[in-house]
Amino acid sequence: MTTLLLAISGLGLLLSLPAGFSGSKAWLAGVLVAMTAGLVAAVVVLQTGEVWDWRGTLTVGGEAVHLRLDAVSALFLALLSLVGGAGAVYGREYWTEEKHPRTARWGRVWWSALLLCLGLVLLTANGLHFLIAWELFTICAYFLITLDRRRPEVRAAGWLYLAASHVAMLCLVAFFTCLAVRTGSWELADMRDHAELAPLFWLALAGFGVKTGLFPLHIWLPSAHANAPSHVSAMLSGVILKIGVYGLIRFSGWLPMPPGAGWMVALIGVVSAVLGVAFALGQHDLKRLLAYHSVENIGIILIGLGFALVAAQQGNAPWGRLALAGALLHVWNHGLFKSLLFFGAGSVLHATGTREMSRLGGLWRAMPWTASLFTLGAVAISGLPPLNGFISEWLVYLGLFDSTNAHGPSAWAAIPAIILLGVTGAMALACFVKVCGVVFLGAPRSAAAEQAHESGPAMRGAMMTLGVACAAIGLAPMLFWPMVAQAVSAWNPAWAGTEVPAGLAALGAFHLALATFALVAAATLWRRIRQRGVTRAVTWDCGYVLPTPRMQYTAGSFAGIITEWFSWILRPERHEHRPDGVFPFRADFTERTPETVLESVVEPAGSAVMRMARVFRRLQHGRAQAYLLYLLIGLAAMAVLVLIGANK
Amino acid sequence: MIAGGGALIFRLVLWLMLAPLLPGIINKVKAWVAGRRGPPVLQLYYDLARLWQKSVVMSALASPGFIIGPAVAWVALTGAALLLPLGPAGALFSFRGDFLLMIYLLALSRFGTAWAALETGSAFEGMGAAREVSYAVLTEAAVITAILSLSVHSGSTSLATMLAPSVGAGVVLLAAGLFIVLLAENCRVPFDDPNTHLELTMVHEAMVLDHSGPPLAVILHGASMKLLFFALLLTEAVLPVGNLAPMPAAGILVAGVLAVTVGVGLVESLLARLAFRRVPLLLTTAFILCLFALLLAWKGGAA
Repeated sequence: MTTLLLAISGLGLLLSLPAGFSGSKAWLAGVLVAMTAGLVAAVVVLQTGEVWDWRGTLTVGGEAVHLRLDAVSALFLALLSLVGGAGAVYGREYWTEEKHPRTARWGRVWWSALLLCLGLVLLTANGLHFLIAWELFTICAYFLITLDRRRPEVRAAGWLYLAASHVAMLCLVAFFTCLAVRTGSWELADMRDHAELAPLFWLALAGFGVKTGLFPLHIWLPSAHANAPSHVSAMLSGVILKIGVYGLIRFSGWLPMPPGAGWMVALIGVVSAVLGVAFALGQHDLKRLLAYHSVENIGIILIGLGFALVAAQQGNAPWGRLALAGALLHVWNHGLFKSLLFFGAGSVLHATGTREMSRLGGLWRAMPWTASLFTLGAVAISGLPPLNGFISEWLVYLGLFDSTNAHGPSAWAAIPAIILLGVTGAMALACFVKVCGVVFLGAPRSAAAEQAHESGPAMRGAMMTLGVACAAIGLAPMLFWPMVAQAVSAWNPAWAGTEVPAGLAALGAFHLALATFALVAAATLWRRIRQRGVTRAVTWDCGYVLPTPRMQYTAGSFAGIITEWFSWILRPERHEHRPDGVFPFRADFTERTPETVLESVVEPAGSAVMRMARVFRRLQHGRAQAYLLYLLIGLAAMAVLVLIGANK
Repeated sequence: MIAGGGALIFRLVLWLMLAPLLPGIINKVKAWVAGRRGPPVLQLYYDLARLWQKSVVMSALASPGFIIGPAVAWVALTGAALLLPLGPAGALFSFRGDFLLMIYLLALSRFGTAWAALETGSAFEGMGAAREVSYAVLTEAAVITAILSLSVHSGSTSLATMLAPSVGAGVVLLAAGLFIVLLAENCRVPFDDPNTHLELTMVHEAMVLDHSGPPLAVILHGASMKLLFFALLLTEAVLPVGNLAPMPAAGILVAGVLAVTVGVGLVESLLARLAFRRVPLLLTTAFILCLFALLLAWKGGAA
């Protein structure tokens, strides 16, 4: 059954490759069939917990093809299928032949290729094939990011992505070859009885960490997410970052862990969560802001994973199960609402041609669907009830509280993690109130925002699918729990079993009641106002004569209080001309939050390396006489060494 | 089931009817300190009834969210109120991890009001909303630390058992921390002055500048419920109300809420508002007070 579904899925994607080159209808059909089949296969495995294992006779690189789908990879496959399908529907309308005659077909082909390679990464049970598929999907993603490569900032973003990905690739090649050398085969399976493999986890953490966008390895992430076409951004943030998480979860489950691994992962998680959202608050570019929120959410996932690792090392304490379940569910949740938000941002970009929040505003009137669906995503990502973000954060929190109440050594990490998770939540809320308010509410700040239009049915449909999924997980968590529980037990058999954490059912029921009552209350208030009559008037402005849209509160001022608290790391650059004199001629103020890690750590380090290289380059100038001299000096040095050795 | 429904309605009515009393008491205390007669204690009830009858003036820029925001905020606050156990009577909905839902429902109500504030595109309301969500970062840290200290002290993860015993040694610290949080969350002096009409200097009043009629009534009623909510939370966190017989517990709860309310009135009469750049400092103090309460609870639990 699963074999058939996965075969359909693979075949559909393979057929959609040439179909995408010629036209878009057959391509979409192929991708959708493939994604539906993939989703069903993943759900079947998640429901039953049976591992699908398939060995082929074909060999690639001297290794027989070996595919396997267990609950952990099925969890990620389900996300890939849903976002991949929705992204294809969205992308077909977003990146059309009319608007992008040169690149539309390539966008389709690379999309199919990306989905295929990502699927292979999830399915393969062979280290060599994992590396090959990993490299292939990295390249597919590069071509998708740089679809619009006539713009220089897109090329720069693509280059940064490619460079960072290959640093990660280096670590992963080292990781997999060490693994293969130590175990004697490329086969990937549970290796927890090989205690000597433990230190390899650090290599995996670095390699997968770059792909995941952990702070401070996130340097490629903001510019790539901002400059890619929006359906690609959704894929990057919703799925590709999660493939990094998949690597971490997969191999932290299969390898023996070095003693400090859990602590380290949790620490990185906390740092990523808090600083991710702080950087997000400082952004003025809508998509860049969303990209930094990915850093934050990956942080939340890693907090869960880190504490699960700590718990596993402390005799499989039961609270680790909650933390891991929270992390795994957050993988789904973040994939869903972040893709939804990127689709929404894409609709805004499509309608107005700008990502600058200071040029948007008042879009709800022209784009009611996009505005409401984006808001749904914003409520979900802020972790507010009754949507899905709260369910996974609730699980992680509960794991941390239980860890504290166990009074073990992990409590000392759990207490700050709980407090900082709360702070992160409040900051995410501040950030998304800002985004929604500045982009969709108030008055349009530019002509482009004034002439915006709603996106077409396909783009809205893709957003709605993801919105429904967000609401479903939030309102009926009990439906999804068994699948998460299967993935948890596949990660650590000691936490096997499907018993539901106490409180989850009640939480789901409360969410349902809350949503119902909110609807009823809003409708009642609405009717009351209709009865009493509404007068429309200009916004209260203290009697000012000439209110203009530019007098609205901006994104920068809204976030100003919090970004001031974090100015030690954000290092905002300000340029100001204050108004002076009785009749001030001009005054201006600009503020920009730089990519602190990239601009003050990586770039200086890179230029230092280049300077050193320049010094050494003087040695190579093409004069044969000098090269002969080098040879002579080298030989002489060796002779001296030999003589010294002989005299001893 | 029917008994449960009856209890739900009874408790809901109790919350909805009693909440607007608190601002009246605060105003009476302030008037008494200043030697004035002051507005009647029931003034807010009259205001709410009047606002509910009025028609609405809405900004030309406002979307339906201008109405939905306050409604969602009100529902969220009501939900949080129903999660709070009332002494030995317990909570209507009690489950593991309900305290997190309670904290996040407060956050949801903040989202609703801040959203509605941004609807009009007014810089005043933007300013108010920005202050509200920014200071909330610090109050959230303080609240979650306070809850954590209760959880550590009682070894439980559900509000009903968490709030039952007294906190022990950290009780004064926790009370002080939560009182500051109460003042900040309810926009009272020294964080905000509910009396001024100078929009530039305010938080809550600046956010609701453009609201009128029934939506304003919903916002004001929600604010009074939030005040009652925090007063009850403070009382129950500090005093071991949950372990008493029903009658004395009810008496203590009422006395505690009254004491907190009078305390707010006295603070409001005797203190001036803080300069805005000092606000984070005071909130950090609240957080640190709660943190020390947590450490004391931790020591007590380990011993």
